[in-house]
Amino acid sequence: MHLPEIDRYAHLKSPLHSWDPRVKLVSISCLILSIVLLPNLLLASLGFTLVIVLTFISRIPFSFVLMHLRWVLLFILFFFVVMPLTVPGERIVELNFMTISYEGIELASLIALRAIGAALLIFPMIGTMRFDLTIKALQKLNVPNKFVQMVMFTYRYIFVFLEELRRMFVAARARTFRKGTNVHTLKIVSNLIGMLFIRSFERTQRIYNAMASRGYNGDLKTLDEFELCKKDFLKAFIVIAMAVILHLAPLQ
Amino acid sequence: MSCNGACRVGLMREIIRVRNLEYIYPDGTKALQRIDLSIFEGESVGLIGPNGAGKSTLLLHLNGILQGKGKVEVLGLELDDENLNYIRSKVGLVFQDPEDQLFMSTVFDDVAFGPINMGLEERRVRDSVKEALKDVDMEEAIQRCTHHLSFGEKKRISLATILSMKPEILILDEPTSNLDPKARRHLIELLKGFSITKIVAGHDLELILNICSRVALLDKGRIVATGDTREVLSNKSLMESHGLEVPWSLKSER
Repeated sequence: MHLPEIDRYAHLKSPLHSWDPRVKLVSISCLILSIVLLPNLLLASLGFTLVIVLTFISRIPFSFVLMHLRWVLLFILFFFVVMPLTVPGERIVELNFMTISYEGIELASLIALRAIGAALLIFPMIGTMRFDLTIKALQKLNVPNKFVQMVMFTYRYIFVFLEELRRMFVAARARTFRKGTNVHTLKIVSNLIGMLFIRSFERTQRIYNAMASRGYNGDLKTLDEFELCKKDFLKAFIVIAMAVILHLAPLQ
Repeated sequence: MSCNGACRVGLMREIIRVRNLEYIYPDGTKALQRIDLSIFEGESVGLIGPNGAGKSTLLLHLNGILQGKGKVEVLGLELDDENLNYIRSKVGLVFQDPEDQLFMSTVFDDVAFGPINMGLEERRVRDSVKEALKDVDMEEAIQRCTHHLSFGEKKRISLATILSMKPEILILDEPTSNLDPKARRHLIELLKGFSITKIVAGHDLELILNICSRVALLDKGRIVATGDTREVLSNKSLMESHGLEVPWSLKSER
């Protein structure tokens, strides 16, 4: 079964892998912010190139990245369909009642470059360290503990959740259920999902019992081995400088 | 029933004392009724009974997860809000499903969870984790992700999550359920090696026979028999009247 492991390539070696998780999270978050705020297509293209370079440096295979971005890409495709037809401007093509505008294509491209760029940066940022280190880095950065716990438990139990879902579908198939595009399928699938919610709710009580019996009082405490060195700051300087330069460049 | 087990441990310290314990679930089900039980230091006690007998509910009372009517004393301390944290650090409870027991992303974080909450300093936490993993022969798994472990490995790590807290009492709920024979045998050998007080609930009567000197038989929320493990488990009419069977090894001895 395919597991949604964002940290599958955390074991590789690259300048991004060896970067301190805390500094990496902050620096790349700055770059993401910079990318999504880029005002024109030229700067967005430059930013996007930078993102591609960073992803390349991270050594995470592009096939892995593209596989995980397929839904984002599909969503962005929607903009390419709608915007050229709806944004007023210089007409490129005119077909009976439809007109395709240059401004529409430009705006759709700008949105696409910003969105794909920001989504791509998730991989050099989070995909280059084990997910537990991401959690610990968030804790060290004083992200609210409740939020950190939610992220951690989601990641821990998504695999259990998917396995339970798979077993339920196997059990349904064993009793002659076949997926189709009909009301019966919809009814069965919604029942299975409902059951999954009930099972998950019951599991939360058992997990809480297990946590309470080991002294949990609402706060998640962990140990880490983070150590900052000069290289971490150098990398941070380079990435943040690029994020700033993109906005100060005379290409606006 | 014979009091052999209790007589043998008569001179030992009473480490758990349960008196007149009653618990009713919110839906009205009487899960425990007038439970009296004493566990002595260093002994291994089995809790047996059919499904729904109240074994797991009783275990949850021993470190304060559930609090019913009646009296529960652990290590001479009454189980109340004041003593709760101390008692929980001394009573290690291993749940049946390792997916519930192992809630952290990595083995290290899970095994360190208890010691950190106990307020131990970092070096001692790290030492406890290494020691506990060594006790269950899983030292090499320290950096592994929990969801990558096999079921047998998860069971052993579950045990380590408790051992790292250095409890005085080890409570195990169905420790061998769903394990293959090899993993089951390995777990039994591990448990036999621990000298601390153990309470084991389950249907694996061969396991109980292997590691427990005394058993308490529960049915419909009541303790219906206590005594020497071999004596209780070989009592065919008693076992069958409460939905259990004499274990194969005792049958074949006859």
